[in-house]
Amino acid sequence: MDKLSYIAKRLLLAFFTLLMISFVVFFVIQLPPGDFVDSMVTDMIAQGETVTEADIENLRTMYGTNRPFMVQYVDWLKGIVTGDWGTSFYYNQSVLVKIGETLGTTLLISLVTLVVTYLIAIPIAIYSAKHQYQIGDYIFTFIGFVGLAVPHFLLAILLMYLSYKWTGKPLMGLFPEGGITDWASFVEFLKRLIIPTIVISLSGACGLIRSIRAQMLDEQEKPYVLCTRAKGVSEQTITFKYEMRAILNPIVSGLGGMISGIFNGSTITAIVLMLPTQGPVLLKALQSQDVYLSGGILLISATLVVIGTLISDLLLAVLDPRIKLLEESK
Amino acid sequence: MENYVVNVEDLSISIKMDEGILTPVRNVRFAVKENETLGLVGESGCGKSLTSKAILGINDKKCKATGKINFQVDGKMLNLLDLKFGGSEIRSIRGKMASMIFQEPMSSFSPLFTIGHQISESVRLHITKDKKKAKDITIEAMRKVGISNPEKRYNQYPHEFSGGMLQRALIAMALVCNPKLLIADEPTTALDVTIQAQILELMKELQKEFKMAILFITHDLGTVAKVCDRVAVMYLGRIVEIGSVMDIFKNPLHPYTRGLLGSVHKIGGGRERLFSIEGTVPLAMNLENKCGFYDRCTYRDDVKCSQVDPCLREVEDGHFVACYLDSPSQGKQNTR
Amino acid sequence: MSQEKQKKDLAPNDTLLNEKELKKLEKKRAKQEKYYTSSQWQLMGRKLIRHKLAVISFILLTLLYIGAIFAGFIAPQGLEDFSATYSNAPPSKIHFVHNGEFIGPFVYDYDITYDKFQNKVYVENKEKPYKINFFVKGSSYKILGIFKSDIHLFGVDNSDLPEGKDKVNVMLFGADQLGRDLFSRILIGSQVSLTVPLVGTFMSFILAIIIGGISGYYGGIVDTIIQRIIEVISSFPTLPLWMALSAAIPAGISVTKVYIFITIIMSLVSWPGLARTVRSKFLSLKKEDYVLAAKLAGVSDFKIIIKHLVPGFMSYLIVNLTLGIPNMILGETSMSFLGLGMRAPATSWGVLLQECQSISNIANCPWKLIPVLFVGTAVLAFNFLGDGLRDAADPYK
Repeated sequence: MDKLSYIAKRLLLAFFTLLMISFVVFFVIQLPPGDFVDSMVTDMIAQGETVTEADIENLRTMYGTNRPFMVQYVDWLKGIVTGDWGTSFYYNQSVLVKIGETLGTTLLISLVTLVVTYLIAIPIAIYSAKHQYQIGDYIFTFIGFVGLAVPHFLLAILLMYLSYKWTGKPLMGLFPEGGITDWASFVEFLKRLIIPTIVISLSGACGLIRSIRAQMLDEQEKPYVLCTRAKGVSEQTITFKYEMRAILNPIVSGLGGMISGIFNGSTITAIVLMLPTQGPVLLKALQSQDVYLSGGILLISATLVVIGTLISDLLLAVLDPRIKLLEESK
Repeated sequence: MENYVVNVEDLSISIKMDEGILTPVRNVRFAVKENETLGLVGESGCGKSLTSKAILGINDKKCKATGKINFQVDGKMLNLLDLKFGGSEIRSIRGKMASMIFQEPMSSFSPLFTIGHQISESVRLHITKDKKKAKDITIEAMRKVGISNPEKRYNQYPHEFSGGMLQRALIAMALVCNPKLLIADEPTTALDVTIQAQILELMKELQKEFKMAILFITHDLGTVAKVCDRVAVMYLGRIVEIGSVMDIFKNPLHPYTRGLLGSVHKIGGGRERLFSIEGTVPLAMNLENKCGFYDRCTYRDDVKCSQVDPCLREVEDGHFVACYLDSPSQGKQNTR
Repeated sequence: MSQEKQKKDLAPNDTLLNEKELKKLEKKRAKQEKYYTSSQWQLMGRKLIRHKLAVISFILLTLLYIGAIFAGFIAPQGLEDFSATYSNAPPSKIHFVHNGEFIGPFVYDYDITYDKFQNKVYVENKEKPYKINFFVKGSSYKILGIFKSDIHLFGVDNSDLPEGKDKVNVMLFGADQLGRDLFSRILIGSQVSLTVPLVGTFMSFILAIIIGGISGYYGGIVDTIIQRIIEVISSFPTLPLWMALSAAIPAGISVTKVYIFITIIMSLVSWPGLARTVRSKFLSLKKEDYVLAAKLAGVSDFKIIIKHLVPGFMSYLIVNLTLGIPNMILGETSMSFLGLGMRAPATSWGVLLQECQSISNIANCPWKLIPVLFVGTAVLAFNFLGDGLRDAADPYK
């Protein structure tokens, strides 16, 4: 019962968060000076048409850009809900279609890096915590620091350069020409997945290692560990049953932040490596003031983060017997 | 040789720190017999908890223990300090033959597993692999320590228990394998007074039933008088006086013991000022070779006491004291 | 009797020992006493000094910031200097011996040829040395925006340059596409790259303390609303939001304004995390007995916050702040790299790295990656410093 009301509450909260996010997105895309009609007019003039003030005014009324902010927002939101996300000015395509083109690869890359991040970080963090102040811990800590210090895009460039040096052509893009048709092209695809995965997961993994290690060290100091040890339980059981279980909660609750971090990394990495994901599209949209497209991408990424947070909240409801206590401390 | 359950000889514990080597426990010796309760009394930081944890070998790796902790296993005495740190031998003794109750019942259970699971884990490790049987044994133990409706409580989490109930559960966890030695580390400090009395009563009853030896660690002399047969007084990592409860309470010899007893308020004792020991406990680091209590002692002999730390000597049968004074009347009381 | 004798034997020895040892012991005791009675900040300082990496980091950061402050003086070239002749020139080699004769530091001019890809190839022309002089006149600059000067720490003596030849420059880290000295530009760029994060962090710090403090101390409906706002902002992946916001900076405004806008954007996006920390610290500290005691004693809310709560987690906050700076450095660099941050004529480390977007550029001119070293050093140094501070903030551990 407790859990049901908790889940309901989370769902409701997520809904409100999404609503507020949509507002922020609309606010942000309205920020640049000038509007959609301005860019249209510039374009028309560039094509040699003559545009009068009255024409502009007509256009404004037609597209509704001279209405109050809130009216425009509600209109935009209606469109979002009903599946009309506006038209991309730059690509001359429906925003939803354009986003759909890249959403799959974006999700694929995000998912792969997410899994890789956890697979790398958790074992290393536990090793480091269990061997605190020993040589292995120092090495991992050092690598972790360097991983946090190198900007994503640089690592991407460096690895691309190295791949160029070693194989003669840079590993760029994601899908081989002609798509994945047979085993060989699939292997080629996997090869091209390596660099982005390393680059995007590195900083997330380094951050995760640091936080899990610290939590693990914290956990070791708790009285119940001593009490469990006094029962005759072996160190392995204490580590993998009790302490792992305890750090699982913060790991799960960090899922939303992790996804957000992955979007950060993948945006810029994709731009450098020319991956067919949302990063390059977003950059193009921002550069060309294609507000509906950039707004749509912003909305999608934030929504995915919210969904990630929601999933982690729901997982926590299953994992943690102290939901009520958690709620109070939140 | 008497029938000791545990016999600690010359136990010293040292910790290496940045500032120097800390020796919080020095040359401690005591023994506990079957069916006997030994109280280990002292201020916080005197080394009593470290001593007790050393018996189970659950101190931090940084703590180096030397000396001997002889423990009766199958009729033979085994030095626990010879066993590998965290190895399977010492683990088969922990929880089964010697177990421990901790100060804070609230944090002594992992919040993420049910109480029943955590208690029965001990059973599954030491008695039977059969989950069903382990559960039965656990529920029986929970009933014995006075947890009502143990079948339902078995599946509850620690946050659903009250403090007193958790302490009972903790006792159940310690006793579920019928250990020969129970170490109780201030088991009642975190509890209300009425519940304290219940828990102490419970421990006494269970001792009778299982013939356990109990090492009772506390700073509360009232509790000592209630539950202990013998008392060891610790100060700055050393036992300064040890003897039967009667001897210690009637005829305290060490100035520190006297100070401790003087600072307890007696009901019906009138409105005298409570006695307090002046000064603070020095840090157990780079200790000079003088009596550890020298700086705070009001009876000290400036020559004798400042040169050699006194050893324990027997003053009457079974009553040992580490002080050069023979009786309370001897030596003038320095008024500082 | 025998005891007395022993004592006599011991006595002279003892006094000798005492006189020497006593002073030592006393010193030791005084030191120990000092340790246990020193204030929290003193303890933090002591612990920090013992943390070698943190100290090294602190020194490095000080050097970097001194470099940023005196960039105009140290850099041989000004912000607007360029030279088409030296486009993509490699780092200058500094020589001391010319024709077997020691004449102090100097550089040679280049003979420029082209390879088959039409890339410039620079070969040193060893005929004529151009001496490097100290405190030479060059383009004018301002230090801290106040002190105007045109004296540079070092530069090439071009007094006997042949007619019609482009000036010879000393370029420690080579040149970029437009023949601008990378060393100078890194220093000038650090004025942006090192201060935006600092100012941005400071601004988000203020925001976080105010908003997080209100949220944590008063609770209730205010808390709920602030919590929701924080959740909304932190639901956005920072980089895309940064990008979107900086795309909204109008074109054609002054460099100073761009700088201010970027700083504001940085702090707007990053205060929520910090505010959350402040709030949770407030929540846990609020329940402490000493706060209740202060309340019972009739201390006002404001005074409790300032005198009792804030010092309680100040050290913790400073650690968080220090650890937050690297993210902003990386953020500014990334945005400038994408062309959404600082714009020409201003420069920053990210702007300098824009040229590294093409592989051929890196392959032909690897020195263009040198700004990475500066980014990495600054980020690592702030991380180590923050870590040292964190350890130090827990002085008795």
